[in-house]
Amino acid sequence: MPRDAVNAPSGTVQAIEFKGRMMLVSILRVNSAEAPALAEALAARMAEAPDLMRDMPLIVDFDALEALPAADLMVALERIRGHGFKVIGLQKGNAVLDMVAEASGLPILVLGGKGGTEAAPRPAQSPPRPAPEPEKPREAAPAVHTNTRIVEQPVRSGQQIYARGGDLIVLGAVSAGAEVLADGHIHIHGTLRGRALAGVRGLESARIFCRRLDAELVSIAGHYRIAEDILDRERGENRLVTLAGETIQITEI
Amino acid sequence: MARVVVITSGKGGVGKTTTAAAIATGLAMRGHKTAVIDFDVGLRNLDLIMGCERRVVYDFVNVINGDANLRQALIKDKRADNLFILPASQTRDKDALTTEGVEKVLTELAEEFEYIVCDSPAGIERGALMAAYFADEAIVVTNPEVSSVRDSDRMLGILSSKTRKAEQGEGAIPARLLLTRYSPARVDKGEMLSVEDVQEILSIDLLGVIPESQAVLNASNSGVPVVHEDGSEAGQAYLDAVARFLGEDRPHRFLVNEKKGFFGRLFGG
Repeated sequence: MPRDAVNAPSGTVQAIEFKGRMMLVSILRVNSAEAPALAEALAARMAEAPDLMRDMPLIVDFDALEALPAADLMVALERIRGHGFKVIGLQKGNAVLDMVAEASGLPILVLGGKGGTEAAPRPAQSPPRPAPEPEKPREAAPAVHTNTRIVEQPVRSGQQIYARGGDLIVLGAVSAGAEVLADGHIHIHGTLRGRALAGVRGLESARIFCRRLDAELVSIAGHYRIAEDILDRERGENRLVTLAGETIQITEI
Repeated sequence: MARVVVITSGKGGVGKTTTAAAIATGLAMRGHKTAVIDFDVGLRNLDLIMGCERRVVYDFVNVINGDANLRQALIKDKRADNLFILPASQTRDKDALTTEGVEKVLTELAEEFEYIVCDSPAGIERGALMAAYFADEAIVVTNPEVSSVRDSDRMLGILSSKTRKAEQGEGAIPARLLLTRYSPARVDKGEMLSVEDVQEILSIDLLGVIPESQAVLNASNSGVPVVHEDGSEAGQAYLDAVARFLGEDRPHRFLVNEKKGFFGRLFGG
């Protein structure tokens, strides 16, 4: 829960505040550090949707290149940044990677579901990884924010569906243990028992509509409420989830 | 054209093997030539439930590896004509199940059998994926409790994308729900999910509801599939499920708690 500092004791303004927020971060998995191949792939991806790519915070995953020395990884990292990508961290790896992190000044991030025994605090663990699609040939730059994705089947436990750049409409239920995400709004014409995250890239006006809400988690633009914080009276039929300031509100439609 | 049916669940201990044995036996009793395959390589059980464990010479993995041919490995059931069992290997692990190998065996079986029933292991690992991969349809076995329902839901998600038919763009294979160990009395007390609850969550067609029954346990222990116990409610419920599977319309039975009257209680039942 984002703890708003509005209730600071004597009404004085604090110089800094810490806030727990969820956000969607894309992972750039590097499968080859070979100069021409990497450069070509980076340039091609950037050319597809330069505006989108330049603003997209990235975590670089060097998992596939574990065997390479730190110097090679540094070169690869510089190449990625050189193409205009905004790298905000490195995915946890071996000791060599720690050296790369040290040298580049980037933090090492432990992602949920990625081995690693360190239990990251819940918010850090929660940012769902975008649907695993490292190659992504299909996602080739559709018109941004006009994409509505319609899912006609129930979304089952263990499945994750992300509507990139638009709204998501689910005709069936979203099961416990399933997760649906959208850059825009989410409409669920069944029962939401799993997790729904709307406006995952920061659209605060995004909303979640569902025929019945019994969710594990609802989130809008990074603010979220987990099942424990959703009251019994907020659960039920025809619910609307909105973000009001910093608070997730659940109301009856 | 043979039909490949996978009996699956995700969760273990919900009655997959009992169901595979009962459905395969039921199909054979209805005159359909049926083979039932144990995909639980390393933990074989089907032969015990079918009461043929002492006649196992060759197994599924032997056939895949070419150590034996199918005819040598198939065990003819003693009770039902038309029924053959292909046991799992106890000594190998599930990596022995290769896609090519399984396909080869199923293709060969398809020439001779009308129905091929695949008894899936628990979990969502290789053995379970292989059992489902070539299936034309699925029977999802679920107990009326939350974790089993959730695992079945997960398995349904996998079935919708990880079968050959799905990969070939033919979409999800049809999957039907078989609810086992159902106790109407415990549903009434709120200790168990009701049929409606489970169906609401899984949203798939209901093939049958098998009541919790001592007869199932007895049948497993004695190696006689429960459908042979036609005096038992569980046996009848399985036979109903087989009939529905074959396209007959039968009402669901044993869904309500039959309150015993005074005499019923007096004389037991």
